[in-house]
Amino acid sequence: MSKINSVCIIDDDPITVFGIKKMLNMLDLADEIKTYVNGKEAIDDISGMVQKGETIPQVIFLDINMPIMDGWQFLEKFLDLQVENKIRINIVTSSIDAYDRQQWERFKGLTSHVIDFKNKPIRKNDILEITRVA
Amino acid sequence: MLNYTNTLVGNYDRMLRGTPTVTFDYLVKQLPTATAFINKKYEVVYVSDKWINDFDFVRKDAIGASLKDLFGTISKDWEKVLKQCLKGNPSQQSLHHTLDQEGNLRWFEWQNIPWYDEKENIIGVILHTEDVSERILAEIQSSKIETLLEAKSEITNIGSWEFDVERNRLSWCEITKKLHEVVPTYEPNIDTAISFYKEGYSRNAMAMAVDRAIQNGEPYELTCELITAKNHEITVIATGKPIFKKGKLIGLVGTFRDITPTLENEKQVKRQERHFKGIFNSSYQFTGILDTQGTFLEVNETALTFSGLKEEEVIGKKFWDAYWWPIPDYIKDGLKQVVKTAAAGEFMRSEIVVLDKDKNPIPVDFSIKPIYDENQKIISLLAEGRMIKEMVAARRKLKESEQKFRALYELSPSSYILSDFDTGEILDFNTSFEQTTGYTRDHLGQLKVQDILVTGSRTQLLRIKKEIENNQAFGPEEQEYVKKDGTKFPVLVSGSLVGNKKGRKLLWSTAQDISESKGIEAQLREEKKLLRTLIDNLPLNVFIKDLDSKKVLVNKSELDYVGLNEKDVIGKNDFDFYDKESAEISRKEDLEVIQNLKPMLRKETISVKKDGTVTSFLTSKIPLLGEDKKVKGLIGISLDISDLKRKEEELHDLINVTSVQNKKLVNFAHIVSHNLRSHTANFSMLLDFLVSETDVEEKNKIIKMLMEASDNLLETLENLNEVVAISTNINLDKKPVNLCEKIKAVEQNLTAYLKNNNALIINDVQEDLEIKAVPAYAESILMNFITNAIKYRDPMRKPVIRLSAESQGEYTVLLIKDNGLGIDLDEHGDKLFGMYKTFHKNPEARGIGLYITKNQIEAMNGKIKVESVVGKGTTFKIFFNEQN
Repeated sequence: MSKINSVCIIDDDPITVFGIKKMLNMLDLADEIKTYVNGKEAIDDISGMVQKGETIPQVIFLDINMPIMDGWQFLEKFLDLQVENKIRINIVTSSIDAYDRQQWERFKGLTSHVIDFKNKPIRKNDILEITRVA
Repeated sequence: MLNYTNTLVGNYDRMLRGTPTVTFDYLVKQLPTATAFINKKYEVVYVSDKWINDFDFVRKDAIGASLKDLFGTISKDWEKVLKQCLKGNPSQQSLHHTLDQEGNLRWFEWQNIPWYDEKENIIGVILHTEDVSERILAEIQSSKIETLLEAKSEITNIGSWEFDVERNRLSWCEITKKLHEVVPTYEPNIDTAISFYKEGYSRNAMAMAVDRAIQNGEPYELTCELITAKNHEITVIATGKPIFKKGKLIGLVGTFRDITPTLENEKQVKRQERHFKGIFNSSYQFTGILDTQGTFLEVNETALTFSGLKEEEVIGKKFWDAYWWPIPDYIKDGLKQVVKTAAAGEFMRSEIVVLDKDKNPIPVDFSIKPIYDENQKIISLLAEGRMIKEMVAARRKLKESEQKFRALYELSPSSYILSDFDTGEILDFNTSFEQTTGYTRDHLGQLKVQDILVTGSRTQLLRIKKEIENNQAFGPEEQEYVKKDGTKFPVLVSGSLVGNKKGRKLLWSTAQDISESKGIEAQLREEKKLLRTLIDNLPLNVFIKDLDSKKVLVNKSELDYVGLNEKDVIGKNDFDFYDKESAEISRKEDLEVIQNLKPMLRKETISVKKDGTVTSFLTSKIPLLGEDKKVKGLIGISLDISDLKRKEEELHDLINVTSVQNKKLVNFAHIVSHNLRSHTANFSMLLDFLVSETDVEEKNKIIKMLMEASDNLLETLENLNEVVAISTNINLDKKPVNLCEKIKAVEQNLTAYLKNNNALIINDVQEDLEIKAVPAYAESILMNFITNAIKYRDPMRKPVIRLSAESQGEYTVLLIKDNGLGIDLDEHGDKLFGMYKTFHKNPEARGIGLYITKNQIEAMNGKIKVESVVGKGTTFKIFFNEQN
């Protein structure tokens, strides 16, 4: 298993961000970890990267309930970006709303990127499994 | 011609020449001849009773009386004769006439002979007389009759006349006088009689004829013209005949006949004969006249045409050989017998069949009867045949129809009764009557109408009697009859009056037993009543419409609905009850049902009455077919579902509310679950790290994070508690709240905050405006919006918040307008009032305020709307429900 160049975490909960970061570091899975507190910050940054022709993170940890721009709004805009590589997007949420699962199913069908769905709390084993190149 | 000379000669030569003796008077008295002895002084000496009787003298007066005394006078001729007798010369027998005491003319044969005594001395004259009046009159009469017969006269209008030559006296009988048109007392003579004849030939011929008759004794018969006393010209046949006595003409007798009418009669006879011939020939009957031997003398044209024969082919032939009789011999024999019987004086008549010229048998009413002459002698036979083809056919038809009638009469289920109208006696009835009443024909003669009729009221009976008298008929009307066994049953009776030949009034009645139909009728009535009760008590509007959508029947519910009486509804259509639109829809439905014969079932309809009342119905319309399977209208059934509809709407609203509530609950559950999970997940993860962490600094960091997570969890629980409190507080006590004052109160509470933020509140709400709200919620809502407005102010502007209110239907709307940052509603509109949703990079944003506010507004049955332009500001509209 090759090490991933760049991972990004989009979540407004600092504790969750801390946890995922810590586990990624413990497992030494990624060279670089970027974090964003909401979808808006993330999409703005990634869009910039795409425009500049930089490589964007290969794995994205995405929360759903966030202020300003939530996970689904982010995903909507992300899928519109011209991204050549296959990106793995791991939705990590505490929501048990059926609506959110339906949204997941919908987005999976709209893209060639890999989209996974995980409920919190997330464990080291989970991280190991879902943090790989799509 | 009678020989007068002989007849008048008597037997007087052998007279007795007796000597008078004592017994002489006695002897003379008894002489059978009329004899009188007179002396030279012409005094009667002896006389026979006969003489006394003949001359109507009285014996004692006659004896000793002179002739002059007895006869009044002695003509000179007679005195001469008497003197000759006294000289011994007897007179010749002569005829004399005299008038008797009654004035009748009497004729005597008279002889005077000398009366000698024993010494042959002439002592007087013996008078022998014989009364020949009767003989003479008889002779004249018979002469007259003979003349009449010879003239072949008819009895009428023949007069007679006689002329006495000796006395030159002409006498006319009454008829003759009448024909001359003279008065009855008129006295004619020969000259005047002749002068009646028309001058010229008639008078000359007559004068000559009379002269020759008198001179030469030639009889005559002349037809002459005569002018009557009254100047009428008539034609007469006058005859005259001389009458001789011993070679001497003593008179003329004759007849006098007016033949003017005879000429007329002859014409008439000819005319009658023509008529007779015409009738004879053109008669519709076959008529022939036969002699008594059965030979045809005459046959009419009808018979000839019928048989196709000519007259000469029939006349002279025997009756039974005629062409038209069927061939068999027995018929001929029969006909011979018939002719023979008729010739013996019998009138024969029978119906027979004859053959026409095409040999078709034709029925004929044939008769043959004898014809008598004036002497009651049968001289010929009249044979007649009347074609009765039509009659026979009609009779057959009559018989057929009589049979039919008889069958009907006997087989009819109705009773027929023939009764005497006046007495009520029943004269005849049919089998049905027997079966129905139990009376048999044996009861005829003792049964009366009154016996079978259950006596109704007197007025009823009188009315029927009167009806019959006026109309010759009555009924049909219901009566009640009583059977022989006493049971009563209803009948439908009608009758008509007929008269028979004797003028008796008969009543033909037909009576129909209607017990059964009465029963059925009652049953039907019962069923009808039941049905009526049923439909009237149905909680449905029931109606029947005809093809023009006019109401034919409506039940009570329908009447109650339209609010009218039955009479104001029947015959009307929907346009009379509903507004135009409803009526048009209804008519369209009716037509569809009637035309397609497909029922319209359970359709929701809305009827708007003229007064504007709106009613929802569940209506079915079913085509109504008549017995002929043709549509004659429709049956409509409507169920008023207005209440149901209202409840349905309420339910619908309720469902909406509960579904909204449910959605909110689910949403809330997700929020709760999400928030709690995210915190517990953090706890779990951090605790994991803490257990395996060896680095102390890192451990402290994790513990600090655990404490933060604990604080967050507590706060979250508090928020949730607040929301639950709003949602579970179902007993909201809404009160009138003065909005303006409430705003002022909130402003007061926020004085410091407003001052710090340099914010301005403009309160434009009317001072007296009251809303219905929970006071605490109202305050919380105002507080929340005002602080939000300041929280999300545009840093480049001084925050200004303007509050105003307006009324919108059942709501009072509070408008809170700020000049803050504004919200991109396209991006965030759907989440604006969600829990933990924040839209600005504002550290104070917790995403709970608007969520709670919305919950509070909705808890008061209100609603909230928002308008916003990014960079300009936001306006929230809060709708307070004023109803409940």
